[in-house]
Amino acid sequence: MTSAFSLLKTRFVWFLFAGLLLIAQVPSILGSYWTLIALNLMMWVAITQSWTLFSGMTGYISLGHVVFYGVGAYVVASTFNTIPLWLAVPMGGIAAALLALVVSVPVLRVRGPYFVILTFGLAELVKFSILNLETVSGKSSRLLFGTPSIEILLYCMIGLVVLATLTTLFVTCSRFGRGLTVIREDEVAAATVGVPVLRYKIIAYTISAIVPGMAGGLMALKSTYFEVLQVFNPIISFTVVTMAIIGGSGDVRGPFLGAVFLVLLSELFWTTAPQFYMILVGLFLILFVIFAPNGIAAFLDKLQISRKSG
Amino acid sequence: MKRIVHFIALLLCSLGLIPAQAAEPVRIGFSIAKTGLFAQAAPSQITAYELWANQVNAAGGLDVAGDRRPVELVWFDDESDPAKSAQIYEKLISDEKVDLLLAPWGTPHHLNVAGVVERHGFPMVGNTAASVAVREVQPGNIWFSTSAIPDRIGPELAALAKQSGVKSVAIIANVLPFAQENLQFLVPALEAEGIEIALNESYPPDISDMTGLLSQIKAAGVDGIIALSYPADSFLYMGQAREVGIDVSFEFLLVGPTISAFSQAFGDFADGIVTIGHWSPHQSKWSRAKPFFDAYVAAYEMNPDYLDTALAYMSCEILEQAVATAGLDRDKLRTAIASSTFDTINGEVSFEGVENAVTPTAFLQLQGGDMHLIWPEDIATASFSPR
Repeated sequence: MTSAFSLLKTRFVWFLFAGLLLIAQVPSILGSYWTLIALNLMMWVAITQSWTLFSGMTGYISLGHVVFYGVGAYVVASTFNTIPLWLAVPMGGIAAALLALVVSVPVLRVRGPYFVILTFGLAELVKFSILNLETVSGKSSRLLFGTPSIEILLYCMIGLVVLATLTTLFVTCSRFGRGLTVIREDEVAAATVGVPVLRYKIIAYTISAIVPGMAGGLMALKSTYFEVLQVFNPIISFTVVTMAIIGGSGDVRGPFLGAVFLVLLSELFWTTAPQFYMILVGLFLILFVIFAPNGIAAFLDKLQISRKSG
Repeated sequence: MKRIVHFIALLLCSLGLIPAQAAEPVRIGFSIAKTGLFAQAAPSQITAYELWANQVNAAGGLDVAGDRRPVELVWFDDESDPAKSAQIYEKLISDEKVDLLLAPWGTPHHLNVAGVVERHGFPMVGNTAASVAVREVQPGNIWFSTSAIPDRIGPELAALAKQSGVKSVAIIANVLPFAQENLQFLVPALEAEGIEIALNESYPPDISDMTGLLSQIKAAGVDGIIALSYPADSFLYMGQAREVGIDVSFEFLLVGPTISAFSQAFGDFADGIVTIGHWSPHQSKWSRAKPFFDAYVAAYEMNPDYLDTALAYMSCEILEQAVATAGLDRDKLRTAIASSTFDTINGEVSFEGVENAVTPTAFLQLQGGDMHLIWPEDIATASFSPR
């Protein structure tokens, strides 16, 4: 059985951390625009990694992870200039985790397509509830001036990527992680052999909400304008699922590969042909689902094996 | 020998026999909602920018503190996403190295971009943004040309409704910020004028069926309807109001009726619709208004959007006049915009803080397929006409 510490010694993990160090140099080498791109990239990696921790390991596809991102952003925006940011951002993560904990009991009772629809519906419900709350309180939009620089946000986001990656690594190698994998393979059998199914699912769902909550809080600080519809945009959930599918949702490398692939594709095409870009994303998604259902990570493994055996 | 060759070349140049080296263009960047939720509004803005750029180039180029240089527009589609818009302005400033900026469409986009221009100290004259939140923006790098600020619209609209004989109204409002801000100031203003609010409902931004809401309004038996709508839902409202058989004397739609396609789509049925807007080519006090209207119609074979096209063109005029005195130096440009009075198609404009301090909050009404200013009295080009 692989331990978390032996996984830390693998070449790929060290390669990833070297990559993160390189990304931390972007502000001084490539300037503010590419710093913004690096920040976006790290945000996608962090929340896709967290999504993988729950959905990738249990097989419960959440189409509503944006709700945690949005709640974190809302906590930071609504407490802006009231409490210090070093406290507000973690509070965003805690609020997201608490929401996940509260809703997990009813939400995790259903499976398959019902779970997908329920998570999507939950995100929309929270979005419109907060929107109404803002409207009633006369705060349909908020301005956030005096936020930290993009460089600082990037370094914090890299920290979240490290946190999300290490959490996924340790969970993968733990008894808890193996329990989640058994749930994915056969939930009834898992319960039969003594895996505390509901408890494990609730814990995984709650943990997977923390980093998206904090990432949402940091991203709210990137903009000077906060609007509920922007931070609860369902496109965020769809993008996370797309990145996980393309990169590989059963592997810690998947979120990196999926996010890098889509962000690079986006950067290559959005200025020249945005509609073409969306068509390409759709096309790649179909191709990956058909030819590489386990994503780029598994495809790379297959290539390595065939090279060794060849 | 070299001197003689230079002298001959200079002589031929001055006689126009050898073309002088073309001046480097002034690159002006902006993002536009070419696709997505606000795509219907984008043509109103981009046509104004294009018309202005073409006119400037036809006149020999932009006057940059005495030097004439051609104008080149650099733009990207922001997909109606305010966050994308901020990313584009970051690219325009730090990657594309544009010389000047024009504004994106809509309040959320402007306020997202406000942080970018603030960070880079890059002055930008805004146009289609209207929110009480603009007053929270630090003056210095962004200015807002509009006078359609919700806390002013509310009392003025209530006064117009009262003067038009409205006793009871139904309000329906998009949940997007501009509509909700208007709602916030409109309700107390209507109550203060003694106008009964029989119905007050909000609806989602991507609404595709309003018949339920409109049936409720019809059943309420009001004599005025105020729809705090965006362009797409204004079109939806009109189409379905006709089907449901809405018939009231006072009908107000927030954003949309000023678009040329609106009156084309609904013809006589749109006659009498009241909306926000502070410009009309019929106002003879503004000498630039009619020539702009004629040039626009000649170029695009349709009327300009009386709100957004006018605002976008005004922002170009302000920038043009500021650049003529200050050049491209950002500090000088900032001072020029903040302290000068500009002659625009909407009359004189000057700024106090970030706001247009001259143009009054006003309303337009479609009359005979044409847009007329009906409020306030001192700039009105026609009187209110009941539907």
